[in-house]
Amino acid sequence: MTLKSGYFRKLLHVDLTAGSTERRNLPDAFLEKYVGGRGFGAKLVWDNLRHNGFSLDPLGPENLLVIAPGPLTGAYVPSSGKNSFVAISPLTGLYGDSSIGGGFGVELRQTGIDALTITGRAPETSVLFIDNGECSILAMPELHGKASLETEGIIKERLGTHAVHVATIGIGGENLVRIACVNADWGRNAGRTGMGAIMGSKNLKAIAVRGDRDLPVHDLKGLVAENEKASRYMREHQYFKMWQQEGLMNVIAYANDRGILPAYNFKDSVFARANRIDGTTMLDGYKIGDSACFCCPMCCGNICLVKSGKYAGTVVEGPEYESCAMLGSNVGIDNFAAVLSANRLCDELGIDTISTGSIVGAVIEGYERGILSLSDLDGGEITWGDEDAILEMIRKIGHREGIGDILADGSRRMIEVWPEMDKVVLHVKGLEQSAYDSRPSMSMALAYATSDIGAHHTRAWTVAREIEQGQAWSDDDRVDIVLYHQRVRSLFDMLGVCRLPWVELGLSERHYEGFYRHVTGKDVSLEELLELSNHVYDLTRLINARLGASRNDDTIPYKVWAKPPLTGPTAGKVIDRDDFDRTLSLYYRKRGWDENGIPPAEAEKRFED
Amino acid sequence: MSKKLTVIPEQCSGCRICELVCAIKHFGVNNPKKAAIRVLNIYPHPVTRMPIVCSQCKSPPCAEVCPVGALHSIDGVVHLDENECVSCYRCVEACPFGAIYAHDDCELPIKCDMCGGDPECVKVCPKGALRLIPTAVLGESKRLNNVLSYTQMKEIEFYEKGEKKIIRYAETGKEEL
Repeated sequence: MTLKSGYFRKLLHVDLTAGSTERRNLPDAFLEKYVGGRGFGAKLVWDNLRHNGFSLDPLGPENLLVIAPGPLTGAYVPSSGKNSFVAISPLTGLYGDSSIGGGFGVELRQTGIDALTITGRAPETSVLFIDNGECSILAMPELHGKASLETEGIIKERLGTHAVHVATIGIGGENLVRIACVNADWGRNAGRTGMGAIMGSKNLKAIAVRGDRDLPVHDLKGLVAENEKASRYMREHQYFKMWQQEGLMNVIAYANDRGILPAYNFKDSVFARANRIDGTTMLDGYKIGDSACFCCPMCCGNICLVKSGKYAGTVVEGPEYESCAMLGSNVGIDNFAAVLSANRLCDELGIDTISTGSIVGAVIEGYERGILSLSDLDGGEITWGDEDAILEMIRKIGHREGIGDILADGSRRMIEVWPEMDKVVLHVKGLEQSAYDSRPSMSMALAYATSDIGAHHTRAWTVAREIEQGQAWSDDDRVDIVLYHQRVRSLFDMLGVCRLPWVELGLSERHYEGFYRHVTGKDVSLEELLELSNHVYDLTRLINARLGASRNDDTIPYKVWAKPPLTGPTAGKVIDRDDFDRTLSLYYRKRGWDENGIPPAEAEKRFED
Repeated sequence: MSKKLTVIPEQCSGCRICELVCAIKHFGVNNPKKAAIRVLNIYPHPVTRMPIVCSQCKSPPCAEVCPVGALHSIDGVVHLDENECVSCYRCVEACPFGAIYAHDDCELPIKCDMCGGDPECVKVCPKGALRLIPTAVLGESKRLNNVLSYTQMKEIEFYEKGEKKIIRYAETGKEEL
């Protein structure tokens, strides 16, 4: 079976140094094998690495930034607004990707391309404007130093239309803060692995897109019928309304009840005042609107406004669970208005809320334990829940001011400067751990350790299942669920759709076989799609291996094996290191990698053409 | 009984499913840019998401400016006669709501035809932000709010069979006139 539709079969490449743009054809073999999104990204990054002799500076002009929606992005499929940013990460030095929702990816596809790649460095602060078939690089030095959201507004004004979607970086990205993110559609973020710093290193302040092409769909009637089935299931789900109302904020109470909510830099896994920063608090006093990604009935996004007090007037798209936990309980803040203010500040600076919350939490603990001195902190104390000091620390990270200049380079840099911080920070491969405690869940520890981008939950999120049903799980069960998640969730990132209908409402992954078939006209089973996703996992592993990563980098942070949570249902739990090593070896064997975590030599051949 | 397609912007999440189903129904393509309804998303003061769609005016400015009389009101719906239309797009400019659209691929302006009385967008809106409301009821919620805000409303909470309920009542008789 061959591809009949689903793609424009075009890639737009921009070289900012030369100021040139070029449309290239994408062969069917490439489209079929790598599907889209992170699949395209991995292959294109791999080719660029080979071209550069497997040695490049992530913040150098040679690092290729891939922005790729998938074949389902923008299609009549639930939650089809996803788009991946892929490059070698300046934070980890390894493969990095981060996906973004909203409508940017849909608009990008509607310009008539399947992927956008960017290399080089513009001579001054520039904006890339893709207007259907036309592409221009506009010098806009006046945008230098502008905040993310402000930049989006200025560009829309300058282009004279609201009918564009704009992805921007803030001061963080411009300052090459290694945890900088890309912001689009007034507050959606490709948060992780420092994609904003890559745009900053290229002097690329923003990408504006306007497209109105028909998206290629082979069998629209079939797609509509499949979507009607899927949508009916979602809308009839008992938690559907709750998702519309609270979105991911409902997870705060859930995580607190189960002892997996980060509190005080993971010193604890329950937060006594969690009810002051949870979904109910948000609904009672702050939420003023819903925000959905393209074609998503769940609309998990919240728009919040602080109506009175010190932070009055703060409007933010958010928070969602991760931002709220990392900028709330993880730094000891129990004032929801302050969490919103911190979230807004991160958005304006264009820095990742998860890494920021993790780093600030580590600084507070480091100071508490005497590892950091008052002079390290530029003379200003910082303690748990001290809102002013925490907001100031976030600002310093974005501006690289004082201690912020060190923190802006991430957890690994903190360890270089203060070696004892090794016992305080939580990261894998240099990426700060997201807001789910892995100490009560071996599978979650394995998920963080083997995630290709570092300690993020996007590839596998197994902690809830293990806590609820995993008492009698064997090593095999734990490894198998991680492997299955890594296949399914990565497939969503390749197709260009959100995973939440599957994760949270239990929408069968079988529907995506139908969606893919109706869009592309290619008859492929879910199992075959998962195998393609698996190949991409091998590829990202190869990328990391060729950049020097191995078993030694598939780690668990110090606290996860040495420091149990103090109170709550998971008190006293840690991951046993011998158990972890055994589980990791089993994971490698099941993947067909060697004892050191390296894929076999012949695997490389699969990705040659 | 005539019904009006009504937008409740406060309920809109900006998902644009309405755009997609409109384009699929009328053009048979997966392209939200060919819809007769569009969601505008303005930020930040305040964050507003609002679907813009034809109001089927009884005295339509679009029809008034049409040089060839291609826009006619039939049973409360303003129809565009494809054979008459000369694609000058004056109607697009004349609509006070900006609710008629243009697209490079389409010769004719894109205008809501109410799907023959049963609009697709209303059926799929996951938030109930688009509603088909009998003309006689239009503005009722505003009237209701207006009446309620006239008196000083108070609330009491009480429990009925273990379920929390709220009753609102007007405080009367205490005010010195």
